Amino acid sequence: MIHEAVEVLVPISFMYKNRVGRYLQHYLNGLKEKKILGSKCSGCGRVVVPPRSACGRCCGVMDELVELPQEGKLVNWTVCYVKLEGGEFKRIDPYIIGMIQLDGCDSLLSAKVLDLQPENVKIGMRVKALWKEETTGDYTDLVGFIPL
Amino acid sequence: MKRRVAIVGYKLMKNTRASEWTRERIYYELSKSLLEELEIKREDIDTFIFASNDFADGRTISEVYLVQRMGAYMRDESKVEQEALNACLYAWLRIQSGEYDTAMVGMASLSSSQFKPLLVQNHELDPVYERPRGLINFYSGAAFQARAYMERFKNFTESHIARYAEKGYRNALKNQYSLQIIPPSIEKIENSDPIYLPIRELEVAPYADGGGVVILASAEKAKKLTKKPVWIEGVGSAQDTYWIGERDLVKLDGLREAARRAYRMAGIKNPKKEISFAEVQTFFASEEPVIAEALGLFEEGSGAEVIEKGLSEIDGKIPVNPSGGSFGGNPMGGTSLIGLINAVKQLREEADDFQVKKAKRALVHSQDGVCAQHNTVMILSAGGKK
Repeated sequence: MIHEAVEVLVPISFMYKNRVGRYLQHYLNGLKEKKILGSKCSGCGRVVVPPRSACGRCCGVMDELVELPQEGKLVNWTVCYVKLEGGEFKRIDPYIIGMIQLDGCDSLLSAKVLDLQPENVKIGMRVKALWKEETTGDYTDLVGFIPL
Repeated sequence: MKRRVAIVGYKLMKNTRASEWTRERIYYELSKSLLEELEIKREDIDTFIFASNDFADGRTISEVYLVQRMGAYMRDESKVEQEALNACLYAWLRIQSGEYDTAMVGMASLSSSQFKPLLVQNHELDPVYERPRGLINFYSGAAFQARAYMERFKNFTESHIARYAEKGYRNALKNQYSLQIIPPSIEKIENSDPIYLPIRELEVAPYADGGGVVILASAEKAKKLTKKPVWIEGVGSAQDTYWIGERDLVKLDGLREAARRAYRMAGIKNPKKEISFAEVQTFFASEEPVIAEALGLFEEGSGAEVIEKGLSEIDGKIPVNPSGGSFGGNPMGGTSLIGLINAVKQLREEADDFQVKKAKRALVHSQDGVCAQHNTVMILSAGGKK
């Protein structure tokens, strides 16, 4: 009988090269110009961000790109205390993540919220986009949102 | 429903932090003992269905090594990648077709000792937008949902979330197949380390190693196999959009739709009166009131009142997770099969210390994705009304 379990470490390493697709490419190009692009559904008229090709609700094509206002309201928020590293949470200095409804947009955009303490958060408060000085067409160009 | 289908037997492994058995052995021991209990052979099972996730198993088409362990050699066999309750839905469908009379469904998930659940969950996220940005995941999604609930129903506080967690741990201690964690106090829970506020460490269901198998059978077979069949009266499932920024996280439309379908099939008009108890799948304590309300078991916004008055306790109006649910251990991907087995135990009056009185009709729920994007609801009954 074997009484002690023998374990082997089985690392797996995969690398995927995913195309972001036409719509996210537009979105990333927009970030480079400090613009937030969404797409509008030809069927039901809904505007979503980030832009995508088809509307789940009405199956309409969302082929109209729209530049969204850089202001909106904070609809939801959490304070993040962790970072995923090697499959485990490591504790970090907390920061706020918000769900932001840009004016005229039907979906919410997740983003960091800066210059704000948790005790001062009010749902519905107005916020505006904060950009990196030098943009490169990367998600990090849009640093987050700050209170107006 | 064309054919009546029953769950005729089950075997469950005790949840543990580190299984001494390999996944192969779990399947072998559980399926063999279940066949022996029912006094049948593996050849009497028409189809075998595995519930597992390739990322969690660390190999693709992961059941290829397992088929012989569950008795599926040279038999009809397939796998379901979603939560294990969907493998039961699939087994039920196959029997509905008339081509199969018996089906064995199994799961074994070593999410405590073998793999890192957070890593697997991260790979469920959209690879080109959400993953590189690192803002949305199962935990932050749950935090947004909890916050939205607290915002909509102002009497619901962070302390109530802790109370739901405490109920989970407390019920789970009565269930011998749980991790047997000594329930932390409400105070300890609400002061545990924040992860994504308002979600704290002790409000997250603990990961575990676990396994289970069930056998489903058509009515004709079921009557020959057991004196205590548990009948499937209704099944419903629905997918919501992937994007949580387009969902009402408190209303959970996808779950409502899944429940509506299951209730319609089972002929249930008023779930508050017709459901005896529920085993719902929660990964976070804060999800329980949201899910119970979307299922129509309690009034919308009653989360604070329900936990304060004990309405969902084992001896309450509608017990929710009398087994402790995921707070007795969460073998990722397979936890809903444990929920199903715990509901079957109740309906067969085999639930020992967590037995619900007058358990006539059960609701079992499973979810996949951030904030329950995909939901499946199954209605079970002991006597069989139809």
